[in-house]
Amino acid sequence: MIKTINSPGLFTKADIVIICAALLVLPLLYTQFWGNGSQGEIARVQVAGHEPLQIPLQRSQRYTIKGPLGASIIEVDEGRIRFVSSPCRNKLCIHSGWLQHDADFAACLPNLISITVSGRNPRFDSINF
Amino acid sequence: MRQFILIIVVLICGCGRQDDADDQLHQSQLLALGTLVDISLWHVDEKLAEEAIQGIDSQLRQFHHHWHSWLPGRLHDINTALATGLDIELNDNELALLQHASQLAAQSEQLFNPAIGRLIGLWGFHSDNPEGPPPPDSAIRKLLQQNPRMSDLVFSDHKLHSNNTAVQLDVGAFAKGYAIDQAITLLRQRGIDNAIVNAGGDLRAIGRHGQRPWRIGIRHPTRPGVIAAVEIQGDESVFTSGNYERFYDYQGQRYNHIIDPHTGYPSKHTLSVTVIHTDATTADAAATAMFIAGPEHWRAIARQMGIEQAMLIDDHLTVHMTREMAQRVELKQDLKSAIEEPA
Repeated sequence: MIKTINSPGLFTKADIVIICAALLVLPLLYTQFWGNGSQGEIARVQVAGHEPLQIPLQRSQRYTIKGPLGASIIEVDEGRIRFVSSPCRNKLCIHSGWLQHDADFAACLPNLISITVSGRNPRFDSINF
Repeated sequence: MRQFILIIVVLICGCGRQDDADDQLHQSQLLALGTLVDISLWHVDEKLAEEAIQGIDSQLRQFHHHWHSWLPGRLHDINTALATGLDIELNDNELALLQHASQLAAQSEQLFNPAIGRLIGLWGFHSDNPEGPPPPDSAIRKLLQQNPRMSDLVFSDHKLHSNNTAVQLDVGAFAKGYAIDQAITLLRQRGIDNAIVNAGGDLRAIGRHGQRPWRIGIRHPTRPGVIAAVEIQGDESVFTSGNYERFYDYQGQRYNHIIDPHTGYPSKHTLSVTVIHTDATTADAAATAMFIAGPEHWRAIARQMGIEQAMLIDDHLTVHMTREMAQRVELKQDLKSAIEEPA
C-alpha cells in the first residue's frame, strides 16, 4: 500500500505575502539609504572666527554674510548655492558658480568666507586645493 | 522558511553604511596665516581640544607675524641684514627653518627658491590685492643677472649672512607647510593623535577618523567639486600648488603668483600639482618646484626631492601621476590620465 504524505510546500501563503511586501519596499529603502548620495542637502558656510552656519538647500533664500572686506551675498535656489557678490578682486568665488553636490566647495579667501556642500553622508573629512 | 526570512532581514540590516558617529568630531576654524585654518580632532576631550586650538591659534599668529613676506617682522629684519651683507643672529627655530629651505632649494634645482623675494615683489605679489601692470622685461632681467640663491647664504653657528646682497627671502612657498608641521607637533605634545590641520586647502592628517581612515577630496583646478579622493591613515600631508590661488589679470592676460626663478616669469603649462608626503614643509616646497618644472620635468624634480606620490594637471587638463599616486587616489571625473614613473 502506498501511503501519501501531504508535505507542506516550500512557501506558505503567508511567506509569499511577506516576500512580496519586502520586494515592494526594497526600492523605497534603496532610494532612502543609497540613492542619490551625491546630492547636497546642507551647505556649511564658514566665516573665520565665527560659528559655521548650516544652511539647508531646500529653501530658496539670499543671505548676506559679513567678512573682513565687507558683505558677500550668497543665494540658495532649488537645492543649489552660490556666491552672488563678494568684495574680493578676482571674484573666483562667484566664478565657481552653483554648488550642489556633496563636497562641492567655493571660498572667498580674501573675505574669509567658505561654502562646503554636504550630502546625507559626507564623503570627505577635508578638502585639499 | 521563517528562518530564511530572518536571515534575509538580518543581512539587509547589516548592509547599512558603516560609519562612525560624527559627534566625536571636534571641528574649529581659525583666521591665521592670512587664510582659513580648519582643525578637525577625533575623540578628544572638549577642554583639551579647546586648549590645543588656542595653542595653535597663538602659534600660527606668531609665525605669520614673524615670517610675513612684506610687513615688518623678523623676516623683514633678516632681509635688511642680508641686503647689507651684515651678520644677523638666528635662534634655533629660525636656523632650522632656513637650513631646511636651503636643503629643499638644492634638491629642487633651485626651482623652489625662497631667495627671490625681490622678484616676487617686483611682480606685485607682495600685496594682499596684487594687480598689474607686470614689470618691464629689463627689470626682470636685471634681477635674474644677480642670481639670488639660497646657496648664497652662509650659516656660521647661529649667525647668518649672504654673499649676494640681491638675496631677499620670501618663505611663502613653504611657510604654510612649516606652520602646519608645528601645529601637528603641538597636537601630539598634548596627546592628540587623530587630527587634520587644513590651512587654506593644504593639510596634514594624523591618525584616523575612528574606525576608518581620514577621507580627503582634492579639488578640481577649474571647476567646483573634487577631482580625486584619497584616504589617509597614519601621518601624511596633502599639498596642492595651483595657478588659481593668487593671480591678477592685466590687459586680458593672467599672471599667477608662482614665478619661475630661471625665467623670471610666472610658470605656464601647469594648472596644479598635488603632493602627498609625510612632512608638510617638504610637500609644500615640492609642490611649488614641480609646478614650475612643468609637465616635461616634474618627474625628475619629484625624484630628487624624495617625492613618490605626486599628481600634475597640465593646461590641457591631462592628469599626470606617479605610479604610487595612481595606486592611492581615486579619480572622480573623466579625465585623460597618464601614469608615469619618476624618471
